[in-house]
Amino acid sequence: MASIALSHISKSFGDTQVLRDVSLSILDGEFVTLVGPSGCGKSTLLRILAGLEAADSGHVALDGRDVTAVRPAHRNLAMVFQSYALYPHLTVAQNLATPLKLRDLGRTGRLPVVGPLLARTGYGAIGEQVRVIAGILQIGHLLDRKPGQLSGGQRQRVALGRAMVRQPVAFLMDEPLSNLDAALRVHMRSELSELHRRLGATFVYVTHDQAEALTMSDRMAVMMGGNILQFGSPAEVFADPRSLAVAEFIGSPKINTLPGEISTDGRVSYLGVVLNRRVGQGRVGPVTVGLRPEHLSLRSTPADATLSGRLTFKENLGSDVFLHAVIADGQHRLILRTDPARAAALALGDTIHVEGQRSAALIFDAEGQRLPMTTGAGQQAEVA
Amino acid sequence: MPGSRAHLWFIAPALILIVLILLLPIALAGAMSFTNYALGNPSFDWVGFENYERIFTRATYERMFGASFRYVAVVVPFSVALGLGAALLIHSLGRFGALYKTIYFLPVMAALIAMAIVWEFALHPTVGIVNRILESFCGTPLELWPWHAYGCAEGFPLWLSDRDYAIWTVAFIGIWQGFGFNMVLYLAGLTSIPRELYHAAEMDGATSGWERFRLVTWPLLGPTTVFVVTITIIRSFQVFDTVEAFYPQGGGPGKSVYVMLFAIYEKAIQQNLMGIGAAITVVFLFFVMLVTLAQRWLIERRTHYV
Repeated sequence: MASIALSHISKSFGDTQVLRDVSLSILDGEFVTLVGPSGCGKSTLLRILAGLEAADSGHVALDGRDVTAVRPAHRNLAMVFQSYALYPHLTVAQNLATPLKLRDLGRTGRLPVVGPLLARTGYGAIGEQVRVIAGILQIGHLLDRKPGQLSGGQRQRVALGRAMVRQPVAFLMDEPLSNLDAALRVHMRSELSELHRRLGATFVYVTHDQAEALTMSDRMAVMMGGNILQFGSPAEVFADPRSLAVAEFIGSPKINTLPGEISTDGRVSYLGVVLNRRVGQGRVGPVTVGLRPEHLSLRSTPADATLSGRLTFKENLGSDVFLHAVIADGQHRLILRTDPARAAALALGDTIHVEGQRSAALIFDAEGQRLPMTTGAGQQAEVA
Repeated sequence: MPGSRAHLWFIAPALILIVLILLLPIALAGAMSFTNYALGNPSFDWVGFENYERIFTRATYERMFGASFRYVAVVVPFSVALGLGAALLIHSLGRFGALYKTIYFLPVMAALIAMAIVWEFALHPTVGIVNRILESFCGTPLELWPWHAYGCAEGFPLWLSDRDYAIWTVAFIGIWQGFGFNMVLYLAGLTSIPRELYHAAEMDGATSGWERFRLVTWPLLGPTTVFVVTITIIRSFQVFDTVEAFYPQGGGPGKSVYVMLFAIYEKAIQQNLMGIGAAITVVFLFFVMLVTLAQRWLIERRTHYV
């Protein structure tokens, strides 16, 4: 088990800078997710942490020990690859045993034919460890098969087993679930969390799927354009995004954004609606107002603080329905969540009235940075 | 559709072509091998297994098998190993890979007949560059090597016209000519190995190049190796042009380079003994078929991972 510290990592491939002075420190036993759109540098960061890629500048430390110059095999990290990277010519048992053989057996023990005879005790111990891991992952019945004969989910388990078998200080996972079908992916999420609790090991998990990041991590680092935009717990990142980019990336469906304006007294208004809270003085100018679909609700009648629009699409997810509406003469779209019963009463083309939850609107300045807001003097219900 | 004959129309063209250009000539050769037919003769006699009996009893044909098997036994391991070695080296190069690839592939592309003339000059016993270089080292510490000392005292081998050296010299030229082809096949095999497997091996603790080779490269090149070995065996059995270029008459000193294809050519074309030529052809086809069957078996049993 180990804490991990990445400090001032930069990396370029040719003219493209992939990582720009990234620093990240991960606590012992933490489940940290690096999440971001493709090409944001998250996989490169993980590979630099693993040692498979060398950073142009910066340092990697495991438990306070600088391992920047240490080769991957000696960092004692385990990695689960997106393609699983199982050895296709070896059986599941041999795949699981490979890391143990390479580490625990001497040169003579690894000889092709005579090795097992010379290092009999070593092989016995390895076989025992393989059986234990196979038991934990419930792949005991697959030990004699080759990876080509396994389903995607089974291969995934074998890859996990190969990572677990030699008890590494940390697990690195590069989009391990992206090759699985949707149902299995959701199932494996909970299984991975469970495994993390059980092993108590440090997990660093790379994904482009914000749902995986939100469901599994203790803390998540949102990456874009080679920078870490925000690093915090899923709840914090979701509720308190520091920039518009983070707010737009985390949350599904995407947060609604509407153009707004700060008046001289610090009040924010958009599309005729005035917010109750204020931003600091002297920040007059255009802003972006972010409203999450979850924080909007339907009203039966229009009021001062409601937005009215025409319903264009009902996205039925079973438990929830997302309503898509066009507001302000077709210039802006709005998505809100509602329950199936209320949605059933509406037809496409209907005019709907939408109200925002109190204190839920997020305000971003022209550069996309979040603006802090203070509660206004008035106590009447704040509207979207 | 039941009763419809459409399927026959679909397979008929392929079937007719296979029969006409593949199966029929083989069957004819098989039939001819039981006769004493000669081109231009109005008739022929069935001679039963007489031709085969000759092949397996006469000393000439013993030499023929000896030459062919020696050639195959030397050329196959060396040109496969060199092909793999060159492919690994070129694959690890960033910059000059394409240049080296071209250089090693040149002998494959060059006409072997033309190259044979160059080799004949180089290996000439007195004026050839090989023996001249060897002679120039006489009197140096290289003479500690008994073979070299003997050469300095008694004269260096005659190479192509030396009974003891001829087949190995021809085999050497075969290796020189053929390994570039194997290299290209191995390079294709190497590019199809997923990079992630090497990363997984590194994470698993395979620190030396040899361990990575044993864990990833060699097993994943398995199907390529089976193919390369098969192709090389068949190509080596088929060696003809060097032998014909060096020894247009008789198959080398003491018939030591009398390989199968040259024997077929000599008997059937030069001496117009179609029957015995056809019999050697059938034996040759039998060897090639054995190799091919072994390849099919290996591919399906041992190296077919997915």
